[in-house]
Amino acid sequence: MAATRALTIPDVYERFVKGKKVPEATWDYEIIPQNATALKEKYKLNFGDRIIPEDKETMNNLFQAGLEMLVSTGFYCQDLGRVLKISEEELWEGIRKTPTKLILGEGKDIARFYPRHGNSSVKPIIQGGPTGSPISEDVFVQVMQSYAQEGIVDNLVNGVMTTIEGKPAKTKTPYEIRATMAELRAVKEARVRAGRPGMGV
Amino acid sequence: MDMTGLNMLAGWTTVGDTIMIEQMPIFGGYTGGVEETAICDVATTLASFGLFSGNFHLDGPIHIRWGVTTAKETLQIAAHAAAAIDANTDLLLANQYYPMAGPCTEMCLLETAAQAMVDTASGRELLSGSAAAKGVVQDKTTGMEARVMGAASQATCGMKVSDVNDILAKLVPSYEQYYTCAPAGKTFQECYDVRTVKPTAEYLEVYDKALATLRDFGLDIKQ
Repeated sequence: MAATRALTIPDVYERFVKGKKVPEATWDYEIIPQNATALKEKYKLNFGDRIIPEDKETMNNLFQAGLEMLVSTGFYCQDLGRVLKISEEELWEGIRKTPTKLILGEGKDIARFYPRHGNSSVKPIIQGGPTGSPISEDVFVQVMQSYAQEGIVDNLVNGVMTTIEGKPAKTKTPYEIRATMAELRAVKEARVRAGRPGMGV
Repeated sequence: MDMTGLNMLAGWTTVGDTIMIEQMPIFGGYTGGVEETAICDVATTLASFGLFSGNFHLDGPIHIRWGVTTAKETLQIAAHAAAAIDANTDLLLANQYYPMAGPCTEMCLLETAAQAMVDTASGRELLSGSAAAKGVVQDKTTGMEARVMGAASQATCGMKVSDVNDILAKLVPSYEQYYTCAPAGKTFQECYDVRTVKPTAEYLEVYDKALATLRDFGLDIKQ
């Protein structure tokens, strides 16, 4: 049946609330491994020795297996202990609604985020940064500048500032949000120092 | 997904933010082997768009024993999942980097370059990194690792995938054999002049040596 529309976040919440109750251990130790193994066998998936697939059949079979995994198994909410379901039509409606082109950053420092397809001759966006690694407060600007000043880097990704004003940036304390805001100020300063104030983060 | 995540998504979708959804499937965990983990990787990537209103997806298959994204199995999962989705949709796909070795080591740069080759040749649109030393040691990441990530990606663009695979068949085992004794590398403060933010001569020499090794393996990588 055709989808009424792509699911919104409130739709997803309502489906979680009305979803089937499943213990988290059953989800982790039984449902996920059993369904994944069954789909591997159904679609005769065997990656062999090559790291990157070279044949369309493997790519298409894996896509169908993954799509079927999501539609037949659903998605788990650990806070509610419930599983929602999405139909294949609703999934495709969501995919169709997703933008296929994005602009990251501002002004002359933007990066164009467009589909490449296969091993295109178009370079992917290079997003430089510590990717969540712990970084000292006193060198945070300099670490981020070391990425922003690289010509090959198009966009930035933060590290995690480990302290703020000398205090550990612990979760569920006021220091957590103060550290996060300090990270944003530091990244802005790093971009300015590198001469690329509009770079996306 | 938990309620905190759903609440954040409710806010971001309301104000019109660009939303990146991150998920790192664990090879060797609940999902099992490479094919099963790749199936779950495709499923959760699609869920990021179909359920959670993501605009692009950040992957990061991670090895349960090594805690890295640069092992053969995790590269294979990332490559297959990306190629499968790339062949069937226009969705925007990214991957993130967690090499074993620390900065200012050839091993770290070779690991990063190998993953950049994989992500580029399997059709991903964005490469995000790199969290050297598995992303867990304070101040052990620098811009030089991102430089090799970009240079290796640029050198890979447009190559025949079979040729990329041939290089990876030599490159990946060359560093995997050192996972049990990987060099810890140096901190940012040891790799750069912190005042001028210029890399040290030592790191530039290590970088040049890594590029020479990549050329020996067959990658036409430029300075």
